[in-house]
Amino acid sequence: MKANTLHPGAGGIPPEAQHILNQIETEKSKYNRNIIMAFAVLIIFMITTLIVLGLDFKFMLKWLPFILAGSGYTFLVAFLAITLACILAVVGALGRLSKNPIFNSIATSYVSLIRGTPLLVQVYMWYLALPQIGKALEAYGIPGIQRLFTLPAVPAGILALGVCYGAYMTETVRAGIQSIKIGQTEAAKALGMTTTQTMKRVIFPQALRVIIPPVSNEFIAMIKDSSLVSLMGVWELSYRAIKVGRRHFQSLEMLIMVAFIYWIMCMILQFVQEKIEKHMARGDRRIS
Amino acid sequence: MTTNSSPMVKITNVHKVFAGKLHVLCGIDLEVKKGETVVILGASGSGKSTLLRCINFLEEPTAGTIEVDGIAINAGEKNKTRENHILDIRKKTGMCFQSFNLFPHMTVLENIIEGPTTVLGQKKKQAILYAEELLDWVGLTEKRDEHPSRLSGGQQQRVAIARSLAMKPKVMLFDEPTSALDPELVGEVVDVMERLAKEGMTIIAVTHEMHFARDVADRVLIMDEGIWVEEGTPEKIFNNPEKERTRQFLAHIL
Repeated sequence: MKANTLHPGAGGIPPEAQHILNQIETEKSKYNRNIIMAFAVLIIFMITTLIVLGLDFKFMLKWLPFILAGSGYTFLVAFLAITLACILAVVGALGRLSKNPIFNSIATSYVSLIRGTPLLVQVYMWYLALPQIGKALEAYGIPGIQRLFTLPAVPAGILALGVCYGAYMTETVRAGIQSIKIGQTEAAKALGMTTTQTMKRVIFPQALRVIIPPVSNEFIAMIKDSSLVSLMGVWELSYRAIKVGRRHFQSLEMLIMVAFIYWIMCMILQFVQEKIEKHMARGDRRIS
Repeated sequence: MTTNSSPMVKITNVHKVFAGKLHVLCGIDLEVKKGETVVILGASGSGKSTLLRCINFLEEPTAGTIEVDGIAINAGEKNKTRENHILDIRKKTGMCFQSFNLFPHMTVLENIIEGPTTVLGQKKKQAILYAEELLDWVGLTEKRDEHPSRLSGGQQQRVAIARSLAMKPKVMLFDEPTSALDPELVGEVVDVMERLAKEGMTIIAVTHEMHFARDVADRVLIMDEGIWVEEGTPEKIFNNPEKERTRQFLAHIL
């Protein structure tokens, strides 16, 4: 039998292909319907559970404003700590990639030490142990250092979180920079750019796109880890919830409520992350 | 400044040793006059690309001297003036890579004005005017605001050429500019290179594009294992090669 050849683009889609296309379309809408149903069932299940447990919603509503008032601290600590972490991460990554032995070894030990110790211990270090270091230094004759090293709870928390997350993010940023192909550096150099110009104009903007998802991840984790400052008696979200819950013997209500508040905060962040990622994807062939 | 008699590029006794033992260039000399088009041929691994990359110090020569438009740099020295001299040489030389290496986060126009604005400190407006002229010259005016990922290989390489030309270089280095291209796209890039040569640009090209070597080059050099095997006009090299190695090589690629 002779093959039936068509001109390119002529003849339209044959009926059997159209049938397959329709099938794919049906599968897709079926999947979308199923996933919406699954989520709906999950939400109904969660709400039923909360009702069955006999939660005191009136009590929750009554204390909601008081708990929410703590979110200011949560945001303040998280925001300042992430700012510090970002700065440390960029400096740390440059150090890790530097050929200068001093710069490189400082950055490497920073990452190793901080990543190798628990955040809880680090928080207490900044808050409880630093004044002791100050005292020792003052004994060696540096006047006023002990007062400088005795930090209030909030600054200590910001430093602890910032320095800790900075170490993790150093590795993220380093990997992001290293993921950019050598050809980009060479093209920039061939144009006569200095190393700094190459970093600023060519490498960083491209690395940023790679590191946005992991950095958002860190940011979300940090929002939750900011609850660690409650250890030092700062009246932030979780500290308030725990205090109120204990006093009235209604911890379940308070904990569920505070968990929801964190969840909503993180969902907002996730939304922002997606927006940024979309914006960064300009010039990417996969999304057009 | 340079007079007409002194060469635009002068390479003297250049050696390159990789990892302390791989001797890629073994005492290369080369002089290229202003406006001359030189094509370097050779089997892969013979050191052609390395030599090209030594000219703008993307590769640091192990020994020897590189001189571009009156700026001479010796291998092995290390000081601040030398760093500045390297930057000066890079400003005077444009380079086109096998893999184009356009900046993917910038549009075509942004790619072209990046050098003039960042390196030469030109005003953006002024840089855009010249960039548009160059885009017209390489025939890609309508791609001005596209990102490189939406361009074909041939178009990307033409943008890369325009990006180099935006720096108003004295010398253009082509490192296998058509090797990564689909065969039907080679022509458009070679065409741009040919027009560049006709306009009097000094060109050093490593390429397997025999049409360019035969019809456009003023001089063809054959490299093998880090030394020159033979050099001469294209007619001589292609029709009357003296050396057995040249004959072998040409038989292999033609």
